[in-house]
Amino acid sequence: MIHRFEMDGRYIVLDVCSGSVHVVDETAYRMIGMYPEMGREELIAQALTWSGPEDEAELNEIYDEITALKDAGKLFAPDTFAPMAKELKRRTAGVVKALCLHVAHTCNLNCAYCFASQGKYHGERAVMPFEVGKQALDFLVANSGSRKNLEVDFFGGEPLMNWDVVKRLVEYARGIEKESGKHFRFTLTTNGMLIDDDVIDFANREMSNVVLSLDGRKEIHDRCRVDYAGNGSWEKIVPKFQKLVAARGGKNYYMRGTFTHANPDFLNDIRVMLDLGFNELSMEPVVCAAGDPAALTEEDLPIVLKQYEDLARLMLRRSREGKPFTFYHYMLDLTGGPCIYKRISGCGSGTEYMAVTPWGDLYPCHQFVGEEKFKLGDIWRGVENTETQAEFADCNVYAREECKDCWARLYCSGGCAANAYHATGSVRGVYKYGCELFRKRMECAIWLQCALMEKE
Amino acid sequence: MKHIQTLETRDLCESAKNGGCGECQTSCQSACKTSCGIANQQCENKKEEE
Repeated sequence: MIHRFEMDGRYIVLDVCSGSVHVVDETAYRMIGMYPEMGREELIAQALTWSGPEDEAELNEIYDEITALKDAGKLFAPDTFAPMAKELKRRTAGVVKALCLHVAHTCNLNCAYCFASQGKYHGERAVMPFEVGKQALDFLVANSGSRKNLEVDFFGGEPLMNWDVVKRLVEYARGIEKESGKHFRFTLTTNGMLIDDDVIDFANREMSNVVLSLDGRKEIHDRCRVDYAGNGSWEKIVPKFQKLVAARGGKNYYMRGTFTHANPDFLNDIRVMLDLGFNELSMEPVVCAAGDPAALTEEDLPIVLKQYEDLARLMLRRSREGKPFTFYHYMLDLTGGPCIYKRISGCGSGTEYMAVTPWGDLYPCHQFVGEEKFKLGDIWRGVENTETQAEFADCNVYAREECKDCWARLYCSGGCAANAYHATGSVRGVYKYGCELFRKRMECAIWLQCALMEKE
Repeated sequence: MKHIQTLETRDLCESAKNGGCGECQTSCQSACKTSCGIANQQCENKKEEE
């Protein structure tokens, strides 16, 4: 299977199953599209009717180039991966390597679009006691098999509302790394309200990544991200984020925004982030129920798709001007990216990745917390709801009928189970709106890689 | 080739031979937390080889 697209005069052909990316001229682009249905003579006769500059000899040359790539397995490679779909999960059955610790089911902001219902996840406000967090870390180590790298995300609600416990948990984890032979990578996701010098010092020392929530333009940010008195948070948090990032010394962070129906033109928000001095950016579509005033609509879709294209153009321009920035979804590493097992295995929610509530319950991921039927067990007894876990273990790119003909399937690995569940009622469903956005992001990411490799 | 320029990419079919160690980052455990994308994950095996 191949996928062809054109943007700004660059003709790109992706060979889905080999992962090959080809930049081609316009005639080759058209000939590749017809190659599977026509033999040499018919295709060249057809191509001679086009207005391209190539004579018959050159068209034969193009035909030979296409055939050579096909013979080398770099064009029209068959999909032979289906039998491997459950292999990675079979190999890693029972292994947990990442936990999202909900250290605070409470928040000091009252964001209108919060998928976690202002941090409460449709339940009571709570903070995680140290003993629960410690048990969660022990559970992770005990269930991590031969995995060396373990990931722990301090999440909420707002994790800085339980900062002392976060610090103690990090210290505890560091203390057991040597004897357990494990290495912890910590992430902190915060709204920034409680950032102070202590948070900056500790987070920049211990967190391999920090995710900072900022929606961009002040009026956009303050429309949703307000405190309980209704006051916007932009003025308070931006200087704190700037101080934290300046002191981070090059370690990873993401300035992470959410865009909604109020700002489908989110590139304007990205520009504001850049103007504020941030250059590791992520901008995500809102997750909310259809019909919610914040939800993206069909009318928003063309606007959003155009933002993704313009974002890629902006990144190319800035890169050439010596002012590059990164966008999470465009960080394609074509040579060092994931292997085929990872690409067909799905995100690992409910199997290698789980979320832990403040009282120690286990859920398939942070987005299922509060959905009682998805509760998998707890950190003392482990996973007991094996039926639900099996449903997640079977989630892979070949488990979804809709993915079989999608060219982007080896880039998204079947999509987000939570998005699918909320859109269709089944974790094996497909959130079609999200797929549209994802495919456009991948085209733009590949386009950008191609453009960056060209000589100016 | 004159008409087709092929970028250097990881051969996915080849990656089936030595892949599947499971050490790489869990895809949602990074910036987005709301969507699934694995294309931007790094291969930990390759890192170690380097």
